[in-house]
This record gives sequence, C-alpha cells and structure tokens, in this order.
Amino acid sequence: MKRTLTTCPYCGTGCMFYLLVDDKDTLVGIEPSSEHVTAKGQLCVKGWNAHHFVNHPDRLTTPLIRKNGILEEVGWDEALDLVVSKLKQAQSAGGKDSAMFVSSAKTTNEENYLMMKLARAVFKTNNIDHCARLCHSSTVIGLMETLGSGAMTNSIDCMEKADCIFVTGPNTTEQHPLIGTRIIENVTKNGAKLIVADNRKIRLARLADIHVRWKNGTDVPFLNSIMNVIIAEGLEDNEFISKRTENYEELKIVVADYPPEKAAEICGITAQEIVDVARMFAAAKRAMIVYSMGITQHTHGVDNVKCCANLAMLTGNVGSPGTGVNPLRGQNNVQGACDMGALPNVFSGYQKVTDPDVRKKFEKAWRVRNLPGEIVHTVTTAINAAAEGSLKAMYIMGENPMMSDPDQNHVREALEKLDFLVVQDIFPTITSDYADVILPATTYAEKDGTFTSTERRVQRVSKAIEPINQSRPDWQILCDIAALAGYEGMKYDSVSDIMDEIASVTPIYGGISYERIDMIGLQWPCPDRNHPGTKILHVDKFSRGLGKFSPARYRPSVEMPDEEYPFVLSTGRSYFHFHSGTMTRRSQLLDREQRFPYVEISPQDAAEHAIAPGSWMYVATRRGEVKVKANVTDVAKKGVLFMPFHYKEGPANLLTINALDPVANIPEYKVCAAKIRKAQ
Amino acid sequence: MKVLVLTEQKLMEFLASARTAYDVRVPVSLHDGTRVIGRLGEGPLAIKGGAINQKITSIFFPHMETVLKCSNGGFESPEPAPKPMLVVGFTKQDADCLEFIDRFYNDKFRDDVYFNKRDNAVIVCVSGRCGANGKLLKVSGDNCDMELICDGQDYIVRAYTDVGKSLIEDIGSTEIVPEETLEQIEKESDQLCVEGLDLLNAASKLLLEDKVPDEFWQSISDRCIACTSCNLACPTCTCFDVFDRTNGCGIDRWRIWDSCQLDGFMREASGHNPMGQELIRTRRRIHHKLAADVTRWGHITCYQCGRCDNVCPTGIGIMSVCKEMVEKYG
Amino acid sequence: MVSKGLSTSLPQPQKPLYEPFSCEVTAIKELTHTEKLFRLNRLDGLPFSHKPGQFVQVSIPGSGEAPISVSSSTTRGDYLELAVRKVGSLTAVMHQLNVGSKIGLRGPFGSSFDTKSMKNHDLLLISGGCGLAPMRSLIQFVEDRRDDFGRSTIFYGAKSPEDVMYKTELEDWANGDAFTCRVTVDNVSGGTCWDGQTGLITNLVEAADIDVGKTIAVIVGPPVMYKHVIVKLKDKGVSDDQIIVSLERYMKCGSGKCGHCTIEHLYCCIDGPVFRYDKIKELKGAL
Ligand SMILES: Cc1cc2nc3c(=O)[nH]c(=O)nc-3n(C[C@H](O)[C@H](O)[C@H](O)COP(=O)(O)OP(=O)(O)OC[C@H]3O[C@@H](n4cnc5c(N)ncnc54)[C@H](O)[C@@H]3O)c2cc1C
Ligand code: SF4
Ligand code: SF4
Ligand code: SF4
Ligand code: FES
Repeated sequence: MKRTLTTCPYCGTGCMFYLLVDDKDTLVGIEPSSEHVTAKGQLCVKGWNAHHFVNHPDRLTTPLIRKNGILEEVGWDEALDLVVSKLKQAQSAGGKDSAMFVSSAKTTNEENYLMMKLARAVFKTNNIDHCARLCHSSTVIGLMETLGSGAMTNSIDCMEKADCIFVTGPNTTEQHPLIGTRIIENVTKNGAKLIVADNRKIRLARLADIHVRWKNGTDVPFLNSIMNVIIAEGLEDNEFISKRTENYEELKIVVADYPPEKAAEICGITAQEIVDVARMFAAAKRAMIVYSMGITQHTHGVDNVKCCANLAMLTGNVGSPGTGVNPLRGQNNVQGACDMGALPNVFSGYQKVTDPDVRKKFEKAWRVRNLPGEIVHTVTTAINAAAEGSLKAMYIMGENPMMSDPDQNHVREALEKLDFLVVQDIFPTITSDYADVILPATTYAEKDGTFTSTERRVQRVSKAIEPINQSRPDWQILCDIAALAGYEGMKYDSVSDIMDEIASVTPIYGGISYERIDMIGLQWPCPDRNHPGTKILHVDKFSRGLGKFSPARYRPSVEMPDEEYPFVLSTGRSYFHFHSGTMTRRSQLLDREQRFPYVEISPQDAAEHAIAPGSWMYVATRRGEVKVKANVTDVAKKGVLFMPFHYKEGPANLLTINALDPVANIPEYKVCAAKIRKAQ
Repeated sequence: MKVLVLTEQKLMEFLASARTAYDVRVPVSLHDGTRVIGRLGEGPLAIKGGAINQKITSIFFPHMETVLKCSNGGFESPEPAPKPMLVVGFTKQDADCLEFIDRFYNDKFRDDVYFNKRDNAVIVCVSGRCGANGKLLKVSGDNCDMELICDGQDYIVRAYTDVGKSLIEDIGSTEIVPEETLEQIEKESDQLCVEGLDLLNAASKLLLEDKVPDEFWQSISDRCIACTSCNLACPTCTCFDVFDRTNGCGIDRWRIWDSCQLDGFMREASGHNPMGQELIRTRRRIHHKLAADVTRWGHITCYQCGRCDNVCPTGIGIMSVCKEMVEKYG
Repeated sequence: MVSKGLSTSLPQPQKPLYEPFSCEVTAIKELTHTEKLFRLNRLDGLPFSHKPGQFVQVSIPGSGEAPISVSSSTTRGDYLELAVRKVGSLTAVMHQLNVGSKIGLRGPFGSSFDTKSMKNHDLLLISGGCGLAPMRSLIQFVEDRRDDFGRSTIFYGAKSPEDVMYKTELEDWANGDAFTCRVTVDNVSGGTCWDGQTGLITNLVEAADIDVGKTIAVIVGPPVMYKHVIVKLKDKGVSDDQIIVSLERYMKCGSGKCGHCTIEHLYCCIDGPVFRYDKIKELKGAL
C-alpha cells in the first residue's frame, strides 16, 4: 500500500487527500488529509470516491485515428503527426484563426499554460478558451471591471468569520460541499445570519433567516433594489465609498429606478422581502456575498456580477476577513485555467494580448515572433463559427462540449462540419464520437502538476500510479505536438520546470514554486519568492486602484415562458455527479445514487400533469425533447424545472438555448422556456 | 514488581525485529503531517498524538478490496497474507470497536476476507500520557495482545495474551523501572470521565423508549450533506457495496465501504426505498448503534472513539446529536 | 397458535463466504414478457438442500450478484428453479442465457417458511406480482405433502393479464383437488382476453371463507400489498402471529455483513426474508 498526497479532481474547494494504491498499481481508496487547511480530515462524497473511476476498464488506452469512418488503434507517432499536419493544413487553407484550441479546467495549471502557449506561440492564434466561458467568464469580466481582479476576493475560512452570508446562485452543500458546510457551521454554531436568494429550496435555504425565491433571471432588479433600500435608509458605508471607490453617483442614479415595490413586481416577490434582505445585509459588521452560476449563466451574467460587486462596495464589505464578493469556482482547476490564460484575450496572469508590451514580453520569453494580437473566438462563438463553416479544425483537451455546451443539436452540427477534430480525454465521450483523432490522456492520479482552488490556492497534484496502458499526461502530449510542429521552446524535464516558467512570466504566480507549495499551497497574488501569498484581495487598495461602481439595468432573459412553453427550465449539477458524468458515472456509489436523468419538478406541477414521483416524463423546449424521471420535490418552485446536465441519454443541453451574454459570451443555461408531458 | 520500559528508539528496534514474523503496522506521520497506520519507514513514527483519524478497523476492512477473482468460468477467493499483522496504535476505544466487529464478522457466517487479515494479527494498544495536546489516553486493560503505556516519554510495555507475552520475551533485557508511574497513570485513567458513556446511555434509553420524534431527526438531517464521512471513519461501521470490474485477465469482484447516509443504500430495483427520506437515514445512523444493536447484541456499539464528531463537517457526529437529543427530550 | 421458533434454521456456513459454486442452466421457460424461469443443476453434484422461502445469490462475473428467491421445492428433485424479472443489468444478462450456460450461485440463504409449524393448519397463500416466485416453492411443497396440511387456498394478483406468471400452473392448481386457487388482475387493457377476475387482491381476501382459528396466512408481494392485505386479514380475525410475510430488501452479501437489508435490528437476509408479522410489525420501515 502506497499513499500519495494529492488534490481532489472534482470541485474548486480544493480538498487534499491521500490516494491509496495497492501492490498492483490499482487505486484502492482515499484517506483524507487531517492537516489540510480546507479538508481538515474531511471530504464530501465525491472526494471519498475520487479514486474509483481511474482504473475503470473504459479508459482510453491507445491513440485512435478514424480511418474510413472507423476508429483504429495507432501508435503515438502516427497520431501526433496527423494532428500537427491537419492543424497546419486547416490553418494554411483558412488562416490562423480557423483553428480553435480548447483547454480544460480539469487539467493542471501547467497543462493549461502549455495549451495556451501551443495555441499562441506555435499556431499563432488567440483562439484558445475553455469551459470557464460556460461558468464564470462573466465573473472574470464583471469583477475585473469593478474590483480589478476576477477571482474570489476572500478565502474559504472567511466563511466562518462572516456575520451575515448572502448566498445567491450556488447550491454550495452540493457543488462545493465543504464550503457549504463551513457556512452551515457558522450559522448553527455562531448564529451568523444567512440570506439565501435562490429559486430552489436548497439545503441552505432550510437554515436561512431569509429565503427569497425570486423569478429566475431577475437578479439585476433584485440587487439594484436592495441597494436602493440601503441608500434610501442611509445604511451605506460612506467612508468606504468616498475613500475607496469611484463612480458612486452613477450607481445612485441607476438604483434609484428600482424602488422595492417596482422590483418586487419584476422579481415576483414582496417588497418587504427586499427591504428585509437589505437591512439584514447592511446591518452586519462583516457581510459576505457568495455567488455562483445562478448569477453568471445569464445573457446578463456580467451585469449580475457587477451588481454583486456594487452591493459589497456600497456596504464596505470588501478587503477584510468575513466579507467580500466570492464567486465559487465550479471545477477543480477552473481558477487555474483562467489564471494560465486559457482565454482568448489574456496571457497567463490576465495580461492582455491586445497590449503590445505584453506581447513583446512573451515573444521574448518564448523566443518567438509575431504573437497574435487579435481576439477572434471564444468556445461558444467557435462552435457557431464551425456550424457556419468558417472554423475548420478544433483541438479539444479534456472537455465534452456535446454535453456541456448549449443546444446539443447545434453543437453536433458544428462538430460534424469541422474538417478536423482532435479530442484528448481519459474516457470516450459523445464528443469523441465525432473526433478524427482521439488521444488517450491520464487522469489526475497518474501525473504531477498543480490545481488552483477557488480561493486562489495553488496546490500540488502528485502522481500515485503509472499512466494506464499507453495513456500519457496531457502536458507531455502538448510538448510533443509543439516539437513536431517545429517549435523548440516547449521542452521540459519535469512539470516543476513548467511552473518555474509560469512564475517567470506571470506576476501573480511570481513566487510560486514546487518547493514552496509542497504541502499546503499558496494563494495568489504571490509576486515573489518571499511573499506569503494573499488570503484576502483588495485589502488597502483595489487591484485596479479604486473600486468602480458599475451599475446595470434590467434586461429580461432571452426566452421567457409563454403559453406554448409555460415553464422556466434551469440547468445545473447534482451532488453526486460532475458535469458530463464521465468520471462520476463510472464510480460505483456515485452512479448508484443518481443513475437516471431526472428533472426536479414541484409537487403542484407534477400533480397538474398527473406525473407520479419517479415516473418517466418528457421535457421539451424549442430545441428538442428529452425523457427524464420526475423528481417531485418542494426544492422546485411551481413553474420552474431544474435539470442536471450529466446524462448523455437525457441531455439537458439538448434543451438549453444558445443565447449569449454580449460581453462574456456565457450562455443562458439558467433560463429557457419549456413544456412537459407524462411519458405514455 | 517491576515493569518493562522501552524508549522510542528501543521500541523502533523491537518493531523492526518483529518484521521477520509479522507485517508490522504502526502510526506514522505522512507527507503533510497526517497520522495514519502505515508500514514502518513509510514516515516518521507517530505513536504519540492520540487516536488516529483514519477508521482504525480499515486495517482489516479496507476502503476497497477484492473478495473474489473470476477467470475462465472459475472462481478464486483471496488467500490469507503470508505473514500475520502486528498493528500498533489502537486506543482502548479502538480496541473495543475491533472486538465488536470481530464478533460481527464472525456471526452466523464467517467473513473469511476479513479474517484472512484479522486471524493471528497482534493488536498493540497505546495509552497513557500521549494523547492529543498532552491528554491522557485511557489504559486499555486486556482488550488487546499488548499495550504501550506512555509515561510522557517512554513506553511501559504490558502483555495480556500468550502471543503478547512471548513477544515481550523476545525483547530480552531492557531497562526495568519501578511501577509507581504505572500505578499513577492507571489511577488517573480510571478517573477519566465517563460523561460520554452516560450521555450515550441516556440517548440509548430515549431511543429504545421511542421518545425522539421525527422533527428532531428532520432538524439534524437538515444539516447533513450526506458526505458519508461519519460512516467511513467509524470503526464499527461495517457496511459495504459490491461491484465487478474487468481487468486484463479476468473479472474481480470488489467490495467498497458504503454508507447508510446515501439515498441509494437501500433503494431497490422497483424504486421502493425503506430509507428514502433524509430523516430516516439520519435516525438510522444513531439509532443503529444506540438502539438496534442493543436489541441485537445486548449493548450499544458506539465506543466513543470520537471519529464521527471529528470528521463531520457540519458538527453532527454522534456525541453532538446525543447531547442535543438528551437536552431536548431527556 | 403458531409455535415459536419460526424460520430459524440457517444453512451451514460455506467457505469461503463470497465464492459461488457453478451451476448449469438445464431449462428455460418464458413466464411473461419480463419474466423467465431457469432450471439449474449444480456442477459439483452436491445437493442444493434449500427450503421453501429461501433465496440464492446469483452470480454473473461482470454483472455482480442478485438475490433471487428459490421458486421450486426440493420435494420435486434436486434441482433449483428461479423465476427472474428483467429489471436491470444482471437480470438482463440472465435473460440472455441459454440452456447449457453456466452461472455462479451462493446460498441458499435466509429463513424459510416454517412448514413444520404450518402442519395441520389451513393455509392462505397470498401473493402478488413477482411474489408468486417464492410462493411457488411453498405451493409445490404443500402439494407434495398434501396430507400434512389443512385446506389450502392460493390467491394471486397481477397488474394485468400479461403479467400473470405461472399461468398453466395456476390453472392446474385451480383445477386440481389440492388447492382452491383464485387469480385477479388490476386492469385489463383493451383487446386482451381475460375471463378471470379483475380488481385488487384485497377483494379476494375479503371474500375468502376461512376458519380463523386454524389458518395461517402467508403473504409475498410488492411493498404496497402487505398493509392492505393485512388489514383485511385482521378484519376477519386473523391474529398477527398467524400471518407470515416475506420481505424484499436491497441485498449484497446475503449473509448479514453488507448491511443493506437491515430493518432496525434485523437483517432481512439472515433473520428473514420470511418473518412472522407480529415480530416485525412494530419495527419502523419494515412494511
Ligand atoms: C430476498 C429477495 C428475493 C428476490 N427474489 C426475486 C425473484 O425471485 N425474482 C426476481 O426477478 N427478483 C427477485 N428479487 C429482486 C432482484 O434481486 C432484483 O431485481 C435484482 O437484484 C436486480 O438486479 P439487476 O442487476 O438486474 O439490476 P441493477 O441494474 O443492479 O439495478 C436495477 C435497480 O435495482 C436495484 N438493485 C440492485 N441490486 C439490488 C439488489 N441486490 N436488491 C434489490 N435491488 C437491487 C438498483 O438500485 C437499481 O435501482 C429478489 C430480491 C430479494 C431481496
Ligand atoms: S468538497 Fe470539492 S474538493 Fe472537497 S472532496 Fe468534495 S468535491 Fe472534492
Ligand atoms: S464515536 Fe462515532 S465513529 Fe466512534 S464508534 Fe461511536 S459512532 Fe463510530
Ligand atoms: S459526516 Fe455529518 S454531514 Fe457527513 S454524512 Fe455524516 S452526519 Fe452527514
Ligand atoms: S444482504 Fe448483506 S447484510 Fe443482508
């Protein structure tokens, strides 16, 4: 039995644990780390089962090339040669920007860095993006504009220090379980006030002082109205506003248009609820906002995020323990993938590609010329471009857009149209069904690297077993591709060397090295080797100098319910499964818990449609129809359906609408119009 | 009367020499300081520091293990390991837990996969002045083969069974010191508070008399996120799930720790689920140890090892729940 | 009064516990569109020695194990019959088996219908759906030892005519002298021909003419059935200790270890599946 300390591959909480390996190099268990800052010897059910899928017989074990429509096993050389020549071919026919590189929030920082380096330095395109587009791109943009840094302002242990926690749009006890439990402990042990603004009656709502069930998509008027009350009642923090912020007058003008009575009507709640929330939040000494995809995944996602930041600044709740604007990042390394610049507009550390000096710096560091300065595609627009035929080739590492992008039929059409698709993954997926080349990668258990948790903590991922069969770590595959494409600058002896390069070009990671993060990790910004890391952002000064109030006005969601499609359909995740289910559905206990696709429906709606609990039913939108089991529960509000997107046999994203936020290009996963019927 | 005393260094030497006959497992400190029962040399020896967080019975009932190999239509059961284990690091409570699950796995059908490891294993308890934060660990008495009673620095060695005694003989000549210290530790150990047990007994009585209403369980289960940690850490939790997995040359049948806090634990093919409500599952977690097992085995099967209270991220381990219960209904 | 000590005999522990023995499928019969009957022989030639009401763990490498009631009686010879409904992965694989296929088996496990203490009593054998599978082993036993028992009545309820299992045998029991046998279905969909009774099984129980003092009622069926049938029996004056039930639980080990089948302090796999009603009626979640 061997034990290896590593970081959980599921959510952004970033618990560390030991992987247990038997004499046959098989993972046989998990042991929590009792010393880890977040885990403290605890784990959620996904963490406890995180070893299970690694040795699953479905693992991709050899490179595959599609020949005459059939996937054939080939050697690595043949597969990688084809990848390079096809990508080059696509680019020479359609221009550099006719290829798209999709990185992955599941892979390590080093791998994300290399993917973005590959796209920019070798293939000379800024067409690099990853699934943060689909979850927190609005956060990155919204918080960058208001606060100057697109990450969680505080740390997880601040959850235990707040006097009032305002939770809107995450289901923490299921999606960031150990963060959720810190909130529960603070509420039950210290009597902290808890405000939950969520349509669903999530677990935290049961313990909340106030639970507001507004209409999906009315976040902006709701938040504006809270600020309206705070200003009207003189509860704002004037000192903070005058010393630390700018553009306050603008905010005042906009929120003045949202008196509680008016907002209440838009939001489908009472004016009193708004007033109560405003008073409770403003009264707290340390009040914290915790938000997640319920805020971001809207066509007005950026506006929602800005409103959250506005509220925090208005009440002086930024830059101190137990406060802040805290987006919870969904995946284990979605924070890191953003930090590493797996985004079209920035290099690592959010250094803008449009800035010639920045480009010069990277040209020098990477020993290349003419790094591209134009921003062309995001993941979401790339799919649209592929469907239109202007994008020719795509290299997808560790993502499953067929399951996770909106409007599956549209994605299918796009993938089918591509001249060339490479999918690099650990399991076959329905996306790899459309691939011309499939490259078998290793899981987190078979490689070294780092993940950055939601609290900006860069932590080690350590190899517990040898790569299974012929699979290889993503970083090695990327380096080989770069070399085959004729680039000399991507040769590393170890992942630690890659981190050293990252540190040298990325100021916020400047002081990070494997030596320093050996045990507990470091929270960025960590500019130099002596810097202790940063628990709380914007302490004396905002990252952008002054905090900027950026008010927004209400824009309704794109597709509202009507007579034909009377329900609001919202989508997301469940506790036991992760995203497209490739890992969790191959884990015995997790799979057993939720084996079938389902929809959460209120008891009233179910009764009206004569749908029995647990029976099969159909959910349809203008995009298609899906058969799911009815999970009749008072978690769901009347008129609103909730569906997780884990099931390929009942894909929620067959139903969702491909409508994007104009700035962030994030899809509106949280609102579309649907109808239901009983099966048979 | 004199007693045998070992310095940590001498103890190390003894354990190293025991390796010829035994697969020796001891508390070690891992990379980040987490203490586990591991192999000698897996990390620095970490006997002091109190109970190990890990489910102590995982030594014999691990997180995941094969129970059967199937190949070419034939079946093959796992064999006992070539060497029996010698395990150091049980507290008195841990040894009580082990004693119970020994009975459990032997009841009616003998679980040979468990006994493959458990048979002939030597259990060495640790007690005395080496608990967490200098607390005194209760002296075990004879619920193990051998005991190391720490005087704050060195270990007074006591053997209870024949194996234990012969192992002590193997140690040969060592310093012998007067036994006053031991007497003193034992006296203090006897006085260690029994509050915990009183609390469990009071809770047990309430449960057996059916005096705890559903509202109570609902209010506790509102705080349970079904992380399964309480079950997975508890030394007397024995439930497992079974699954088959193909490997290169055949199919292995595995068992893996399961948890009654999961909705699927009892869900049947028909969808019928006797434990299909949160409050029923939360009740089960406590009721099983404090009431159901009293009826079945004649005693409660929680030995106050403290693990579930440590590991529950929302603070509803058995002691906290019992405290709330007894305050409300006692 | 039914004597104490119902269903206590346990099989000899086999060793090793999780190792199945191999069996060959010697016959397969389609019972309904979702149920098939498998007849098995042990390859090692040892006797099955099961009792009515017990179950076995069917083992198919790659698909795992499933508890299946024994549907035949040893009084018919040393073979074992299993009636299996296709509901999931393992049962689906079973439905693909052919005569000559080999499968693994562990057991028999669990308590049985205590035929000794049923002696000389009138029997009311009530089953619903798949519950006829274990009941058939008792029915066969009673048929083969007819003189040992009093008046015996079989009531069987199914969802629809298509769901009625053991159709010809039910007819034989109805036409023969050994039993009074009544079958009812909940619904008859248009176009199906059904000349039997329709309605819930509780109607049959209600209409039954029984000698309360002499009767033992045995119930096996889906969870919803028990409560309703028991109410009707009690209306007729049948006491709790005259009622025997067989319960189904999720089972993994069959031997009191995995914990999936517990009912408060009882383990359905070793203390059950056959229970006398008065022993379990107070237990939360039993029915
Ligand atoms: C004592 C007893 C006697 C039974 N007798 C019969 C019988 O005579 N004929 C018959 O057709 N069926 C019988 N069953 C039910 C049968 O065991 C299940 O239908 C079978 O286990 C389903 O296995 P599967 O692999 O096909 O389904 P799976 O694909 O494993 O699962 C389908 C569903 O069944 C549930 N399930 C999985 N394993 C079990 C399990 N061991 N017990 C209950 N539910 C489970 C799963 O949670 C899932 O919801 C009996 C069950 C018990 C406990
Ligand atoms: S809370 Fe998140 S990081 Fe921690 S164990 Fe669970 S899934 Fe893993
Ligand atoms: S204290 Fe908790 S973990 Fe320890 S034996 Fe009791 S129930 Fe189990
Ligand atoms: S450890 Fe606590 S939260 Fe986790 S399952 Fe047990 S009781 Fe629930
Ligand atoms: S089936 Fe495992 S304990 Fe009963």
